[in-house]
Amino acid sequence: MTAIRANGLVKEYGDVRALDGLSFEVAEGEFFGLLGPNGAGKTTFINILVGLARSTAGSAEVFGHDVESEYQEARNRIGLAPQEFNVDRFFPIREVLEHKAGYHGVAPDEAARRADEALKTVGIYDKRDTRFDWLSGGMKRRFLLARALVTDPDLLILDEPTAGVDVELRRELWELVQRLNDDGTTVLLTTHYIEEAERLCDTVAIMDAGRKVEVASPDDLRGRGEDTLVVTLADAPESVPAFDREGVYGATLDGTDLSVTVDDAGSRAAAVIRALDRGGYEVTNLDLRRASLEEVFVGMTRADTDAGGEVTR
Amino acid sequence: MTPLGTGFRSLLKREILRFVRRPRNTFIPPAITNVLYFAVFGVILGDRIAEIQGYDYILFILPGLVVLGAISNAFENASFSIFHGRWNEYIHEVLTSPLPYSSQVLAYVAASALRGLVVGVIIVVVGLLFVPFAIDGGRVPVRKPLYLAAFMLTIVTLFAAFGVVGGLWARDFDYLTVLNQFILRPLTFFGGVFYSLETLPEFWAQVSLLNPMVYMVNGVRYGFLGYTDVNANLSLAVLVGLTVVVVGLDVLLFRRGYGIIE
Repeated sequence: MTAIRANGLVKEYGDVRALDGLSFEVAEGEFFGLLGPNGAGKTTFINILVGLARSTAGSAEVFGHDVESEYQEARNRIGLAPQEFNVDRFFPIREVLEHKAGYHGVAPDEAARRADEALKTVGIYDKRDTRFDWLSGGMKRRFLLARALVTDPDLLILDEPTAGVDVELRRELWELVQRLNDDGTTVLLTTHYIEEAERLCDTVAIMDAGRKVEVASPDDLRGRGEDTLVVTLADAPESVPAFDREGVYGATLDGTDLSVTVDDAGSRAAAVIRALDRGGYEVTNLDLRRASLEEVFVGMTRADTDAGGEVTR
Repeated sequence: MTPLGTGFRSLLKREILRFVRRPRNTFIPPAITNVLYFAVFGVILGDRIAEIQGYDYILFILPGLVVLGAISNAFENASFSIFHGRWNEYIHEVLTSPLPYSSQVLAYVAASALRGLVVGVIIVVVGLLFVPFAIDGGRVPVRKPLYLAAFMLTIVTLFAAFGVVGGLWARDFDYLTVLNQFILRPLTFFGGVFYSLETLPEFWAQVSLLNPMVYMVNGVRYGFLGYTDVNANLSLAVLVGLTVVVVGLDVLLFRRGYGIIE
């Protein structure tokens, strides 16, 4: 079953094209990361899924239900923790959760039970009679997650869930969301923290200028970046040794440290060492530096922006 | 999800609790305002004003004051609740739910209409307290209770529905003030709250017939006193029709996402 299917989604705001033919799929049970620079269209895409924005063209489905013509079925499956603190300010947070569950058709007794459970899950049950405005920043983030969980969603959408929270809370939230995913909840995560995506996501889509640039696992994406072999030599050579080998892109020298850029550090290391041996260089140390997802991400989005003069932002 | 099922009842409950828990903002102001109206116009000035159509002045103005308070509170409730929800974006809690658009609208309209009715009752109670001061042994008659109920239900629903449009249209809190103070209140004051159309020169009496408030005030006055300047049945029919149209417009606006969806 496909949890999310986007097909040629276009969203225009006047002259601005926020989504430019976005298409991709998220499988049920997947932990899916949506990465992209500010203005890439991530939140616009999420808003279309939950009914806060209408697409100009194309279509989107959630568990096979069109988000416009079958909006009730689609929205019933989604729990959203948005970036903004868009929470009812009139009521204590426990009641806000009861109301939200009620809007999703959950009967009052069950809604009350779920509200307590959701607050306990995110660790702010003792604040249940407090209004949202009086919570600390970290508690507000936790509450947004509780509100997303209170409707028992099959698809959990987290839009920058850890923006502005401290390291400890971030890890707590990661563990919680990971557990939910292990229990079968599909997760769509947008984040600026590449580490978050690397650590949590099965699959990552990189978006830029309203389009999908790439979809792959974090490992696959890292594999597409350039690795570096940092070779320490016994004596500083007078010039950079020449490498005429497949998969070796170039080398730079800094004293006795020779940095060799390769497509894959693991499979090229032996050949590089052998070539240095044959050239009469004595190698005293070798350090393999894998490309980070962040470097790949920056490379992909920058390349797209540089090449995409025609892209309307 | 059925239109009047758990989802609808949850939003209705939320909307009702919102105004019930804030009586200082919702019920006490109209109570105080109407104490002033009844004291000044009913008791102090009422003595010096001749009977209108055979009714003591305080009894003549009571239905109009009920209409003024009821419809402005119904309007204000819907427009404020929706606009405040948009302003702070928590209306997203409703919009991202599977609740049908018609249920969303009906919950906002029903809760706001209820607030209008409660305010109407409060004004009647204030009137009951003042009438004996103005008229010896005076009491407030309800000569046509069914008409009274029908007109009250219709006009609070109508203005709650207008309030939904106002809440969606407003781009700032100033817009709500403009609607209430510059449109609603003048129309009501010139809608025959404080005078009978028969006291006006013929030209202005005819102009007044273009004011929809005339039919509401007279309808409710008919319910209390059994007296009206205009045809009660026709007024009721037109108002019911208008209410259905405006509620339908609300649903259409929600469906299209006017003011609430990008």
